[in-house]
Amino acid sequence: MSSSEHKLDILVDSFVNKLKRRQITGSYQVAHETCQFLMRVTSSSRWQSPEEFIALIRSIGQRIVKAQPREFAAGNVLRRVLALVRDEISDRSASASADNAPVNTAMFRLLVPPPDKQEQENNAQQGQNTRKIERKDDLRSIVIQGIRDLIDEIASVHENIAQMTVEMIHDNEVLLTPTPGSETVLNFLLKASLKRKFTVLITENYPNDIKLCHKAAKKLAEANIETVIIPDSTIYAVMSRVGKVLIGARAVFANGGCVTASGVATACECAKEYRTPVFAVAGLYKFSPNYPFDRDTLIEVGNSGKVLPYKDSDLVGKCEVTNPVLDYVPPEFIDIYITNIGGFSPNFIYRIVLDNYRTDDVDFS
Amino acid sequence: MKKVNTNTKLEYQAVVLTDSYQTRFMPLTHVEPRCLMPLANVPLIEYTLEFLAQTDVVSEVFLMCSSHADQIQKYIDQSKWVLPSSPFSKIHTLLTVESRSVGDAMRDIDARGMITGDFILVSGDVITNMDLNKALSAHRQHKQDDRDYVSTMVLKQASPLHRSRSYVEPACFILEEGTNRCIYYQDIPPVNGRKTSVDIDPELLGDVGEIVLKNDLIDCRVDICTPQVLSTFQENFDYQFLRADWVKGVLSSDLLRKHVYTYITKDDYAARVESWQTYDGISQDVLERWCYPIVPERNLLEDQTYTYESQHVYKESDIRLSQSCKIDSCVEIGSRTFVGDGSRIGSSVIGRDCYIGKNVIIDNSYIWKGARVEDGAVIRHSIVASDAVIKENVIINPGSVIGFGVVIGKDVVIPNYTKITKNLFKEKKRIKEEHSDATSDFGNETEGSSSQFTTTTDEESTSAATSEIPSESDSGEENTNNTTRENIVGSDGVGFLYEDDERYNGMVSQMASLELSDVSIPSSTITRRSTKRKKRTMSSTASQAAASEEESEDFEQEAIATVNRAMENNYDIDTSLLEVNTLRMSMNVTYHEVRDATCKAMLSRVDHFIETQTLGVKEAVEKIFQKWSELFTRQVFEDADQVDLMMIIQQICSGLDPKYGSMILLYALLILYEQEIIEEDNINIWWNSEDSKALNRVRDKTAKWIEWLAQAESESEGENENESDESEE
Repeated sequence: MSSSEHKLDILVDSFVNKLKRRQITGSYQVAHETCQFLMRVTSSSRWQSPEEFIALIRSIGQRIVKAQPREFAAGNVLRRVLALVRDEISDRSASASADNAPVNTAMFRLLVPPPDKQEQENNAQQGQNTRKIERKDDLRSIVIQGIRDLIDEIASVHENIAQMTVEMIHDNEVLLTPTPGSETVLNFLLKASLKRKFTVLITENYPNDIKLCHKAAKKLAEANIETVIIPDSTIYAVMSRVGKVLIGARAVFANGGCVTASGVATACECAKEYRTPVFAVAGLYKFSPNYPFDRDTLIEVGNSGKVLPYKDSDLVGKCEVTNPVLDYVPPEFIDIYITNIGGFSPNFIYRIVLDNYRTDDVDFS
Repeated sequence: MKKVNTNTKLEYQAVVLTDSYQTRFMPLTHVEPRCLMPLANVPLIEYTLEFLAQTDVVSEVFLMCSSHADQIQKYIDQSKWVLPSSPFSKIHTLLTVESRSVGDAMRDIDARGMITGDFILVSGDVITNMDLNKALSAHRQHKQDDRDYVSTMVLKQASPLHRSRSYVEPACFILEEGTNRCIYYQDIPPVNGRKTSVDIDPELLGDVGEIVLKNDLIDCRVDICTPQVLSTFQENFDYQFLRADWVKGVLSSDLLRKHVYTYITKDDYAARVESWQTYDGISQDVLERWCYPIVPERNLLEDQTYTYESQHVYKESDIRLSQSCKIDSCVEIGSRTFVGDGSRIGSSVIGRDCYIGKNVIIDNSYIWKGARVEDGAVIRHSIVASDAVIKENVIINPGSVIGFGVVIGKDVVIPNYTKITKNLFKEKKRIKEEHSDATSDFGNETEGSSSQFTTTTDEESTSAATSEIPSESDSGEENTNNTTRENIVGSDGVGFLYEDDERYNGMVSQMASLELSDVSIPSSTITRRSTKRKKRTMSSTASQAAASEEESEDFEQEAIATVNRAMENNYDIDTSLLEVNTLRMSMNVTYHEVRDATCKAMLSRVDHFIETQTLGVKEAVEKIFQKWSELFTRQVFEDADQVDLMMIIQQICSGLDPKYGSMILLYALLILYEQEIIEEDNINIWWNSEDSKALNRVRDKTAKWIEWLAQAESESEGENENESDESEE
């Protein structure tokens, strides 16, 4: 017993330390690693009841959020797993009292059932079938299966998002993306280029993403997409010719706002001025049930050395240098979120969040 | 599953030099080692370990501790680095109490045979966010390509007068264009006109195409070494410094002629806290986020809760700020700290549990945990160490250092560059240390004050042999300190002025007074480490126990011969020291044997003089001991060593002619005492020890002196007359 607890401690500590040291960064990698980590936790931890398991996951969540409060994906994955367990518990109690089918409260689910929800329901149904035989091991295997599905979902995010390209992008359109660092946007554009011919304006996003910008531009150009790198300062000037602005989000909040690379808020403001539609692309794992109440804490401030070379001794220490890495974009600047489960208006995000997470788990503490 | 390490599974060992073997941070390092000093409220060692952890390839870490080793050990034992989740598979704290320089430490770790392959050598005060993996791959490349390759120095580019570049120890590197091979290293001599050129042996440039001379590098003392580095240290036991001796030696000596490469990083941040100036500069860099992601809200310590606010303000949870206080940019405040009304804090770091009163101004200062600054105080560009109290309306002017637990009384104005300590840790200690500085610094000119003891003339010592104890210089200093005590901390204060060597004054650079020194902190620390030391010596010698038996015999003969030769030919002290030390290294014997041999040689010569009736007893002892007892400064380090030394002398004296054996003992001790090699406390320990009592025959003469010592201590200094009476005997 103690040795397994010991093992679990090591597992948790080293994962938290990795997050802290930024050996795992970027929401995609974080989400993926968190799934793998949870898989190991689920299989190696000991618990008697589902409640105990929930408490364990919540305590881990607390530590992860403290270690890296701006990597929302880790928390989101934990919440998804918690929702899975809670669903299972409520299903059991519901069917134990009587075999009346759980009432489907989500209006949305009646209209457009999201694919992963179906999977979850399938799981639940599987669970119902085997429930009578074995209960505890059964829950463990359900959780593991759920995490596996989650891993699959995360791995196929790009493909699922890219399915919507044809509807979203038209021929001979000029697109602007102020987030050159976003893999999702890059994949979206590459996929679109198979069916459509268009021009992409890509901003430098100096200083934090400039290397990524060059990399992305190279990839796009190799795919025969007409690619133009523009300085950040010219966004307003080119906006009149732009058909759509495509942004990649780092995290999406329940109010429909999102956190993304710095400079994007400016681009969205410009787009609004010209009534240019703004599309945000994000995988479901980036949707966070939190509300962005304290916007200052959401924005990470990065390395000052990227703004001003450190070797410049005339300026270092004599002027203040700040280099915010992230920007918060309010919901009114975004027209549609393109996700792996379809396109949604920012107003509707709260509903998706409600469908995927339990309100009990919004706050881990 | 796990993040894939570099293509092959590469693991390195890391050696962390926790000691700097310098006294730049005195007086604070008297209480706490440099590597546990807080920078932005995190002990320095954490930054180094975090840097090693970040690389993901470091498997084993060796912390080389000499001064305050117990504190470091304790700290590490309680830290997260020993937990099973630590990224290092093992972390060892090695006590090398006898180490006096980087060279000694390197030789020691080599002797233990714990380094099995390539290793990373860092000093325990590095702050960096660089990715060592790039440097490591450069290292592997060089190793493959160049047969003569020994190590890679990691350097950071910055302009020569950058704030985090040390002004104390500037150096320039001469590199080969293109390959980054270091051709020559030169510490830059003072720029006050004495010498501003760099001499390069033309032979070194023989096969080199183009050279670059760089004076814009921050040397952050991160080296990736092959095991050959250790062996060259072992072979050249006079190497003290890593750069000035080793790099220079390896590059220019015909015998070695190895290749040292440099890896220059431009984008990353790397610097070393090696003086007050760099402490200030690096603290500001961390607050201004030049070292991102090593920033305060990274919360390196598990229990920290810093969060970032705009304008580079970092606050921990549970702090109380009054409504009207003003926090300017670049401020870090630890938890449970209170800041009163109308106070203004800018560019500063405030530790945990501090109290800042009303209308206080703190500008670019570092207040360590638990300090108390009362209403109306003004602190500018200064450091206030833990638990110090600054009372009302005190003004602390730039460059001051207020030591641990010092109390500065009301309305006192502390002048620029003042260092204050709570306890007057024996001034004479400091002089001794300077003394050892002079001797350790081969070839360097000794400073005026340090030679004051060695040049005491014969007449002076004959008349004042015993009256030396509270001698003019000593009592004078005591007096001035008593008077300055009032001035410096006020009537309700606690603390003494710490007089510096005036070399590394405050945070400002004093290029003119620059002097390369390697004064070791260990010599100034008086801690009870003797038991540990013994354990260590035993373990390090146990392996070769059989061999060492024989060796020590040889050693004794050799050493006696060496010392005799030195005395006969009247070599200078440095040369003889070097010879004896060389012998010690090559035979691998303990300091006890060195002392034993030295004493034997010296006393037999004294005996010779007396026997042949060339000199009287007293004259003979003085002739030999006045000059040659300086040898002991490099053989006696701790209290236990002093006792040991006295015991050796007593034993030898008891073997001499009973007519004058006891006289020799007395006079020898007097001189040693006078030269600050032995101390009163230890004399008492020795005197009262069983071993000493057993050799009763030679004790009679010394007994009176011991009595007098006890008396002198209990009474005050005003009794010089009595002493001279006693000395007439």
